[in-house]
Amino acid sequence: MRPILSIAALSVPLFVLAACGGGGDSAADATATGPITVWLSNNQEEVAWGTAMVEAWNAEHPDQLVTAQEIPAGKSSEEVIGAAITAGNAPCLIFNVSPAAVPQFQKQGGLVALDELAGGADYITARSGDVAEQYRSEDDRYYQLPWKSNPVMIFYNKDLFTEAGLDAENPPLATYDEFLDTSRTLVSSGAVEAAIYPAPTSEFFQSWFDFYPLYAAATGGRQLVEDQKSTFASAEGQAVVEFWRTMYEEKLAPQEEYNGDSFADAKAAMAIVGPWAIPVYADTNWGAVPVPTPDGMPIEEIHTFSDAKNVAMFSACQNRGTAWEVLKFATSEAQDGELLTATGQMPLRTDLQTTYAEYFEANPDYSTFADLAGRTTEVPNVANSIEIWQTFRDSYSKSVIFGEDDPGTSLEDAATAIDTLASQS
Amino acid sequence: MTIQAERRSSVPARSAPTGHNRRRLLHRVLGEQPLGLALVGPYVVFLAAVFAYPLGLAVWISFHDYFFTAPGVAVERPFVGLDNYVAVLSDPAVRRSFLNIGIFLIINVPLTVVLALVVAAGLNRITRFKALLRVGYYVPYVTASVAVVGVWLFMFNSGGIVNALLGPLAPDPSWLVNETLAMPSVAVFVVWKQLGLFVLLYLAALQNVPKELYEAASMDGAGKFRSFLSVTVPAVRPATTLVAILALITGANLFTEPYLLTGGGGPNGASASPVLLMYQKGIEQGNPDVASAIGVLLVLGVLVVALISRALTDRSN
Amino acid sequence: MVAATSQTENPPRKPRNATRRHRPPFLTTTLLALGALVFLFPFYYMLIGSLQAEPDTSPSAVVPTSPFTLDNYSQINASVDLPRSLINSGIFTGGVILCTIVFGVLAGYALARLRFRGRGTLFATVLLVQVIPFQLLLIPLYVMIVRSYGLADNYLGMILPFAINTTAVFVFRQFFLQLPDDLFSAARIDGAGELGILRHIALPLVRPALLTVVLLTFIGPWNEFLWPFLVTKEADMQPLAVSLAGYISNVAARASNPYGAVLAGACVLAAPAIALFVAFQRYFLNTDIGSGVKG
Repeated sequence: MRPILSIAALSVPLFVLAACGGGGDSAADATATGPITVWLSNNQEEVAWGTAMVEAWNAEHPDQLVTAQEIPAGKSSEEVIGAAITAGNAPCLIFNVSPAAVPQFQKQGGLVALDELAGGADYITARSGDVAEQYRSEDDRYYQLPWKSNPVMIFYNKDLFTEAGLDAENPPLATYDEFLDTSRTLVSSGAVEAAIYPAPTSEFFQSWFDFYPLYAAATGGRQLVEDQKSTFASAEGQAVVEFWRTMYEEKLAPQEEYNGDSFADAKAAMAIVGPWAIPVYADTNWGAVPVPTPDGMPIEEIHTFSDAKNVAMFSACQNRGTAWEVLKFATSEAQDGELLTATGQMPLRTDLQTTYAEYFEANPDYSTFADLAGRTTEVPNVANSIEIWQTFRDSYSKSVIFGEDDPGTSLEDAATAIDTLASQS
Repeated sequence: MTIQAERRSSVPARSAPTGHNRRRLLHRVLGEQPLGLALVGPYVVFLAAVFAYPLGLAVWISFHDYFFTAPGVAVERPFVGLDNYVAVLSDPAVRRSFLNIGIFLIINVPLTVVLALVVAAGLNRITRFKALLRVGYYVPYVTASVAVVGVWLFMFNSGGIVNALLGPLAPDPSWLVNETLAMPSVAVFVVWKQLGLFVLLYLAALQNVPKELYEAASMDGAGKFRSFLSVTVPAVRPATTLVAILALITGANLFTEPYLLTGGGGPNGASASPVLLMYQKGIEQGNPDVASAIGVLLVLGVLVVALISRALTDRSN
Repeated sequence: MVAATSQTENPPRKPRNATRRHRPPFLTTTLLALGALVFLFPFYYMLIGSLQAEPDTSPSAVVPTSPFTLDNYSQINASVDLPRSLINSGIFTGGVILCTIVFGVLAGYALARLRFRGRGTLFATVLLVQVIPFQLLLIPLYVMIVRSYGLADNYLGMILPFAINTTAVFVFRQFFLQLPDDLFSAARIDGAGELGILRHIALPLVRPALLTVVLLTFIGPWNEFLWPFLVTKEADMQPLAVSLAGYISNVAARASNPYGAVLAGACVLAAPAIALFVAFQRYFLNTDIGSGVKG
């Protein structure tokens, strides 16, 4: 009889609730202990590691049980986390936080500053060394624990290189010119359709796997934005976009999305990937070299994109004491070793190669990646991070991939737009 | 308005002396058959909770500087008037997305209407394999876009079967990465995907066309094509209105296809849709205020187009 | 909007010639068959792609030469709990269908046959609701359902936003609208109450519209990805569409034949919907939905 009145009755309290917020406790006790929930990425190997880690913890702490759940590793994990923060049902820890999303989660009030926990900042700097600095937020606090990186390199298919008449053991790929010539040879020889096949789509994160590694290498590890100002409209940035423009213009890199794995399918002779790829490409006869630089650089000087995933503690967490202990347990030397063995991804800790010397001796393929892991460049930890990358990607797509604008001018326009975004906070 | 109605109902009802009077008053206030209110009750509550409240919130958000926060976080959300709308309308990417939807509709709606009607009329005429053929046209409709997008990518990429068949006529760059052809490709995909539903609607409408009309037309010497134009088309006009409006709504809500088929609205936003931008800005980039403004503009736009098209069909009737 | 449009036709003119040509429409059948083949081709391509060990993009792959393999399917079976996902999908979809039928019939009947205050407004709302993009409501809804009602990882939370399909309400309304008026006025003269008319006259007649509504409603929740994906974190609560999307985005990238694995996932998701549709399509007859469009 009163349905319409009930609209008012129903929506008013909801509205108030949404406006004021309820539940949740931003000042939860940093030492409280008890059961907690953690989320793991649903990547097969990581789940295996995570499950074992949680079991090991639970065996020793029956009063502080940890429950692990999986969230998708793909492009949608940030939405899940963002929605969970808003709803106040985020777990205590997530072992799959993209550094690019941290500023946004922090702005939402979703993260616990790890400095507030006993010995938080010291633990982070002691474990990760100088690399940790890039993960410090603008307010000088750590809202994420730098966990593991996947420093990217150029993988190349030795069989295809041989087929194209190239030296498969020492391929000329160090400078832009060498890389271009090699690519031309590969394609014109008919050995392969594409020299290299970075995803040409418009998602904000795609530039991390074409522009950014080369830019990091060329500039000795400069971030896209530093001191609230874009850095990339420089000579180095221009050279990188010119390089990729040539690749696309001469059809050495396709403009079209490949539905599958171009490297595994031998559609492309090279790929920009991290150490996770080693087991994936077990069937391919591959080699790895660092990303090219304008004039070539020894590998000891090369910086590259980190492709890191970190751990964050969420403000919805009540038992923060337990969460912090679990976080330390999961990133201990022993568990980092387990992670390295299970996934081949590089724990972000100092002296990786000496700590796990045995592993790297047994798996020399991973050794170069471990070396690079000390010189990784992260996405800038600034407000509007994702919007900045989307702006960059849109401009890059238009000018570099599709050649509709002059790449140089387009780069400068993007820099202006990004300066505005970066200066807001 | 409703609260007022309630008040009017309760006050005199209490003072009314006789049951008869009370019932009359009840009828005047609640309508002749108050049972209707009870029957729609659950649905109205559902609409209020699932649509009215979030929609109201979205409209409110679109006038404020807003972002989603964790519970208990106090932030200022100042009223910013039309700022979000100004930001949206001055963003070339947003304008482009609305233009894209225009292109989509110009291709999708007529193609859908014509194909659906022709197929339905054909299915209505034939006697053998009727059920089998009907299934053929419905199957894409019952399948999720996520499931079939992969095959389309495979068929329409530069080395795919479509270009192989076209040989030298194949476009370069290929369909989905061609700035001119990306949106039309999405439109064609959606025609294929949705046609089953519209064929169904037309088939139903055709059942109601009196046979005598065809007989009369054929006696007038009209051929099949003439009688299709002069009898079928006018007779199913109400269905055509429905089909056109449903196609319009599908187009306005376009999301999955540009998200998956053209890799996030590429190339260069040539196939981005307003809903895709809402998703990018509101959910990925954490600006629900701007996203809500796009949403409100989109809903208003669809309503205007729907009203205009209705006015036009009413007049032509 | 449709119901309001009246059908106006010219009265039939006097026949000039009483003979009718009656030919079996071979040409029409052939053309329609060709069209149906074009429509079904992507599904055929999907199926054979999912049955092959190596991806083959060349046009000659249309006629498969290599032997079929079920590897791609066994990989899915190994990493997704198919029976569990199917049950979840079933509960999610079934719940939506049940709510839609129970409450949709009532609302549709009231909108078509009863006069009450606010009917016009409500009908306008029914039309408006279909225009609103779900993405606009997503986060407020999520906050409401997960935070205010605590329905994360709960079937109810999955079902709620889809509980009453508005298109179904619309179809029911149109269906009741086209029933002859005499049916109702006769009952009223016999002294039947409104509730009695609903129970003894309207509901027994609704069966044909029911099947249409079930099939229309089925498609939404069965194929829905975004909402259940947000609401469920427990793997054993996830419906098929979510488990398969997770599989496709993640595991498939590592499979020996990622493309085949994706296609196999697509086939697994599509198969139950298509099977159900084919099984029931003979009931899915023209007259049922005729109600939806008749003027």
